[in-house]
Amino acid sequence: MGTEYTVEVNNVSKMFRLYHENVRSLKEKVLFFNKRGYEEFWALKDIDFKVKPGETLGIIGANGSGKSTLLKCITKILYPTTGKVVTNGSIAALLELGAGFQPDLTGRENIYLNASILGFSKKEVDKRFDEIVAFSELERFIDNHVRNYSSGMYIRLGFAVAISVDPDILIIDEVLAVGDEAFQRKCLERIEEIQEAGKTIIFVTHNVEITREICTEVVMLDHGVVVKEGEPREVVNYYHEMMESAGEGTERGNRAIEILNAAILNEHDEPSSEFRTGDSLKIRVAYRANEPVEDPVFGLSIEDYRGFTAYGTNTSLKGMELGTIAGEGFVTFNLRSLPMLEGRYLVSLAIHSRDEQTTYHWMDRREMFDMHSDFNDAGLIYIPSEVEMSRPGEVTHEPG
Amino acid sequence: MIDRLKDLWAHSELLFNMTRKELKVKYKRSVLGFLWSFVTPLIMLAVFSLVFSILSKNPNMSWFVVYLMSGLFPWLFFVNSLMQSVGSVVGNPGLVKKVYFPREVLPLGAIGANIFHFVMQMLILLTFLLIIGWHFSIYILYLPLVMLLEIVLTTGLALFISAANVYLRDVQHFTEVATMAWFWLCPIVYPIGQVMGKLGGAFKLYLCNPMTNIVEIYQYIIYNPHYYARMSYVTGQKKQPAVVYLSFWGISGTIVLAVFLLVFGYHYFMRKERGFAEQI
Repeated sequence: MGTEYTVEVNNVSKMFRLYHENVRSLKEKVLFFNKRGYEEFWALKDIDFKVKPGETLGIIGANGSGKSTLLKCITKILYPTTGKVVTNGSIAALLELGAGFQPDLTGRENIYLNASILGFSKKEVDKRFDEIVAFSELERFIDNHVRNYSSGMYIRLGFAVAISVDPDILIIDEVLAVGDEAFQRKCLERIEEIQEAGKTIIFVTHNVEITREICTEVVMLDHGVVVKEGEPREVVNYYHEMMESAGEGTERGNRAIEILNAAILNEHDEPSSEFRTGDSLKIRVAYRANEPVEDPVFGLSIEDYRGFTAYGTNTSLKGMELGTIAGEGFVTFNLRSLPMLEGRYLVSLAIHSRDEQTTYHWMDRREMFDMHSDFNDAGLIYIPSEVEMSRPGEVTHEPG
Repeated sequence: MIDRLKDLWAHSELLFNMTRKELKVKYKRSVLGFLWSFVTPLIMLAVFSLVFSILSKNPNMSWFVVYLMSGLFPWLFFVNSLMQSVGSVVGNPGLVKKVYFPREVLPLGAIGANIFHFVMQMLILLTFLLIIGWHFSIYILYLPLVMLLEIVLTTGLALFISAANVYLRDVQHFTEVATMAWFWLCPIVYPIGQVMGKLGGAFKLYLCNPMTNIVEIYQYIIYNPHYYARMSYVTGQKKQPAVVYLSFWGISGTIVLAVFLLVFGYHYFMRKERGFAEQI
């Protein structure tokens, strides 16, 4: 059978029955015999993909999109309602930190127990025991009871076992996030080694930037359906877009003054959503005061996709007193030079009273623009810079 | 089914580790540790010996305590295995929901740990008998076979109830009550002859209990009633009072039932297993 693929997911759907109350005793079963209603909940609908040896598949999606259910179907913890999963080769799955650890046993004993849960023999573990301990950095605690381990130690031990037993297919569910940065680095390095060895990796994460780094292919799920699959950069960008549009529409305020419209303009006063580092940008906001309002403040803030505020200003911070506003008009924020490097940015707009007690109109993440850069420098912003070197101790080799 | 057994074989290491885990966890943080496996049956033996040397003045049976222990240790294995395996799947949600492995490892691990205790108890009993200069019958050589028969019966039943308990938690409570009643249906603390006459026609029904037959075999081969009980009732000839009653149909019926239960229990377990992670 299809040896070309290590994991084949063929039209897999998974339905859960959501009982209104879970009946588990005989009395209740007799009393409610066949009367109890349940709702059908399709956690996965017609999922279909194949993974080849050496490929690394990332699965991303919002909470509740069915990522973990899919992994559980692949690892035979759950069985699909319809469709079929075919796997070729040994699987090591890390669906939860320290799943299968026995708190009353020592780290050493748990390594053997956990490896045998994954289906590996004592001999195989013996060979790699030192490697596992070294990777987990738990040399001093390996003969202590696991009950006394911290969550970081748990995950380190679990991960060390799962990747050291040399599976054909490694499945990881959002567990990397627990370790510190150094350990995460180490895990990623190990994952790269596994990739080079031609093994298959499937992993689920909310940290989509990691998928861009290590995946060969990414699948994005939404409400149990594959909405996008393919090249990591493409899917991750789509993911960000979806996440942003999900956040769109959060508006509040009493609309004494209303934002009618807003536009992002480039230096030629043309609407644009693409800018380069150093460009100037104007945000023009059209407003209408539905009643005369005394001393309002107009403001904006620019956030990156993580919600980190890159910049914010308002008329009050600029020392402006607007007096009484009535009727329609425009406010234009003129940002003369954008320092940001690559990335996507979102603009939120607000009109409120000077004491910030009354919000007239607040539009979260109303507009969006993309930054591009000719600079190769790393980071969020560009600082005009150059590098000088002076090497006085060096003997210059003059020709001849 | 064949694939399934192969998978179980691939996880035989896990089965072994699970059994070890059950034992280790049981004796964790105790000073005597594994010694408890010896100490417990030893103390039981001592206490019962003392009690029955004072109480029992049954003129037809000498060494009643040996008769008692030869049936009680097998019974304890049976009931402890059932009680520990019935909750083994439900009691391990962390494993069942998060890791794949053949789920039968859970009840089988519980049984494995009890086999270990059982073997210990039997060794203690046999050593005790050797020390007091027991007059063994040649049938003692059948002991491993009887133990195998009991293990087969227990495993079948354990697989069935541990899977059923996932869907209907009453099974656990029911097992507790049922085994208590079952205990008195087996001739363990009383010789079978005491019920034989009283039950009349219902005695045939009494003999349908597989555990009665198994306990009887243990008593026959360990207690050696030909030597230690007067007028033993062994092969069905009417000689009262009977201490041990064995019949061809009882034994062969029990063997058939045990094998059937194992196949049925395993089949049932496999059929129900797919839903375990959702139901727990």
